[in-house]
Amino acid sequence: LSIGTLISGLLPDGQVLEGFRAEPWAVCDRVPEAVAFPETDDEVASVLCMARTHGWTCVPAGKGTWLDGGQPPSRIDVVMSLTRMDRVLEYEPADLNLTAEAGVGLDLLSKRTEPHMQWLPLDPPGLPRGTLGATVVTGSAGPLQAGYGVPRDHVLGATLVRPDGTVLRFGGRVVKNVAGFDLLKLVAGSWGTLGVVTSLTVRLHPRPAADRSVLFSGAGDAPLVELARGLARLPVSLAALDLLVPGDAERMGTGATPLVVARLMGSRDEVDEVQRMVEAVGPESPERVLEGEHSARLYQNVQAVEEGAELVIRLRMLPSRLTRTLEIAEEARAIVEPNRGFGMRLAGYVQAGLLRVIISRVARGDDWLERAGTVVSGMRDAVESDGGSLIISRGPPELLQAVGAWGASGSERALVEGVKSVFDAEALLSPGRLGVV
Amino acid sequence: VITDDARLLVYESDGLTTYRHRPLAVVLPSDTDETARVARRVRREGIPLVPRGAGTGLSGGALAHRPSIVVGTARMSEILALDPVNRLARVQPGVVNADLSRAAAPHGLQYAPDPSSQSACTLGGNVAENSGGPHCLKYGVTSRYVTGLTLVTYRGDVIRVGGFASERGSYDLVGLFVGSEGCFGIATEIEVRLVPIPQGVRTLLAIFDEIEGAAHAVTEIIGTGLLPAAVEIVDGETIRAVEASTFAAGYPVDADAALVVEFDGVEAGLDADISAAARLCQAAGAREVRTADSEEERAALWQGRKKAFGAMGRIAPDLAVQDATVPRTRLPEVLTRIREIATRHDLVIANVFHAGDGNLHPNLLFDRRNADQLERVERASGEIMQACVDVGGTITGEHGVGLDKRGYMHMVHTSEELEAMRRVKAVFDPDGGMNPGKVIPDEDPPEALPADQRTANTSVGEIAEGESP
Repeated sequence: LSIGTLISGLLPDGQVLEGFRAEPWAVCDRVPEAVAFPETDDEVASVLCMARTHGWTCVPAGKGTWLDGGQPPSRIDVVMSLTRMDRVLEYEPADLNLTAEAGVGLDLLSKRTEPHMQWLPLDPPGLPRGTLGATVVTGSAGPLQAGYGVPRDHVLGATLVRPDGTVLRFGGRVVKNVAGFDLLKLVAGSWGTLGVVTSLTVRLHPRPAADRSVLFSGAGDAPLVELARGLARLPVSLAALDLLVPGDAERMGTGATPLVVARLMGSRDEVDEVQRMVEAVGPESPERVLEGEHSARLYQNVQAVEEGAELVIRLRMLPSRLTRTLEIAEEARAIVEPNRGFGMRLAGYVQAGLLRVIISRVARGDDWLERAGTVVSGMRDAVESDGGSLIISRGPPELLQAVGAWGASGSERALVEGVKSVFDAEALLSPGRLGVV
Repeated sequence: VITDDARLLVYESDGLTTYRHRPLAVVLPSDTDETARVARRVRREGIPLVPRGAGTGLSGGALAHRPSIVVGTARMSEILALDPVNRLARVQPGVVNADLSRAAAPHGLQYAPDPSSQSACTLGGNVAENSGGPHCLKYGVTSRYVTGLTLVTYRGDVIRVGGFASERGSYDLVGLFVGSEGCFGIATEIEVRLVPIPQGVRTLLAIFDEIEGAAHAVTEIIGTGLLPAAVEIVDGETIRAVEASTFAAGYPVDADAALVVEFDGVEAGLDADISAAARLCQAAGAREVRTADSEEERAALWQGRKKAFGAMGRIAPDLAVQDATVPRTRLPEVLTRIREIATRHDLVIANVFHAGDGNLHPNLLFDRRNADQLERVERASGEIMQACVDVGGTITGEHGVGLDKRGYMHMVHTSEELEAMRRVKAVFDPDGGMNPGKVIPDEDPPEALPADQRTANTSVGEIAEGESP
């Protein structure tokens, strides 16, 4: 019997894909034996227990946005997608929190909370259809992390099904909770290596009355960097502060220019005042100011900036090292295939010290892998020697194998391995996804 | 090294004086290296270690509840680096919370979490307890601000976790360590984020004849989309205690509750926020709303809240400070339940709490010499915890479990969850020698501690002195 047939027996409505139908769910180019779509915690647990009995590995997923993210797992037998677990379980607007199954799309969530003038300020890279579970488990944050924090800051509680079928609940529905060791913190950024997260309680925020984006552009990149630095030092909290450098092709084609964008949110009075402060920083006045829907649409485009990219490298250094970060990023130009797609874009979350190098297509050729590996490793060395870090958030699997998605692990390695073994001693869940575990 | 009995007295309890356990000795290392050497040496003797900051904790977490050596952080009190450009600071664990904000102030920055003991409590202690404070409603608790740690384990290993610019294939070990109540290791260096000092502040005080009205106002204020920095309630019992004390704040003694609401941030818009909040208070039945225009007036409005604990000490010899969190909308019914519990057990319960977070502090007043009263206090505490858990709350919002709340852990966690916590502790501390017997109930005595192996012929003073210069 095939893995798919065996699993079908556990899922009454037969939500299992196999063969060519499993192809869209390939993880780093490798097609799983079966894709399972459980609908309840019990079904998740029974699939995991069966997998454990047979020694199958399992990769938890949402809609599949992040299947190619992180280090390719060492083995992929089953992909477990939570897209059929997409119900909002509890929503008490006055408590500003919401509990939903992990497969709920961020777009759906936003539709539910909008009538109450509330939102979950998470804007991970990708299209808005991505699931809450995958966003949290991959720790994916976007521009709004400047003003609102990263996924771990929004999560109040989680349900996790361990590979042995045990259902564990971490945290709760309240904003302050120190009842025991904070295992909830392990969920965000665990990349499906500890268990299958089936539901989450998140903290919501009131939707700000005003949403305004102030765009600065300039012929020269250096003054823009100077401006970004000045904006980062304003004594107010900006919702987002981004540096966007379009690819060469876009510069020539659409005439796009490098931009610094400050996103302001709050009451109208507050936003007006912050805008005055923002404009006082730069020598030049802003090129454009976008309000409300237009501001939101601009940021949807920013979220989609990685779409169609073959390689995305994240450089993280102290914000004060922005110029150096940009210098190191330039080294990646050596491996960009010319005249394919947009070329190489840069997108930086200035206050987090995070710069993404987004490459449309990696140059191929006889020794391409060796060349690309040398360049990326060189960049990693340069960043690390400056106290920073470099990760490849997606890329050709061969390159990920060669240089590793994540940097070398330090003195915390034994702790990481230890934590993994508490939850998944047999290493059946996304094995190798985090490099160490 | 402190071994003198008289000096050890200070270390026998923390802010919760119900528990008293004198340590074998207290060691005060001055850096990571010394701490690691102390740990390695003490472990060889199979004696547990208990980390301790300023001893302001309220759950008995920093006590030598089994014969142990306390590692105090008093001599690790240096701010190692202050980086205003990147808004980061690196500190030793013994730095006092308020001192960091004071050092950052010339740069227009502050450290956001502000527990009420901030003039005494240390950042190491804040990390251990994941401390909150009145302003964490808007700013979040300690875990949101800690970006990196240097840890010393019971085995004396030095491990660096996190770091602002460090993204690795790792779990959020910083987040996991924060709030581990000294059971995982000793944080000897702490990297934290700083935030800009808000441009302006507005504060109001609303007086209510019914505490439920105050709780309702809180739900209304937050439900309409206002984002206060702090929302605090002081109940009638507390008001009367404060007004009868030297801290008298001018709150009316016939009131059932006083509500303090504060907004901060960019000047523009603050006036609109505070008047909107004032209107909502009035609509919820406030009989009087005062606002502050100057810093002195603001301090006066806060006085009754800030001096509440000090004042309560005057009306009863002993105070059981409770701590539990409920969903904000359930506050009115939980307050009613607590009142019923107080009546049934014939106890005075004074409530002063972070209403915006739903974080209650029902304080049970008693006299420990009265055995019957003490027993009623314990029963009432248990019932209050259950009432909070019943509406979807939890048994501690910010004081931690320590020794005090281990017995309630089963109310909120299954045995599998407790077992997972126990095993995660063992990842950091396989010998079970770091602050044993805290947080998780019914923990088996750690293997490091068989009584017959405890060295009788070496004095603990010698052990520690041998390694720590």
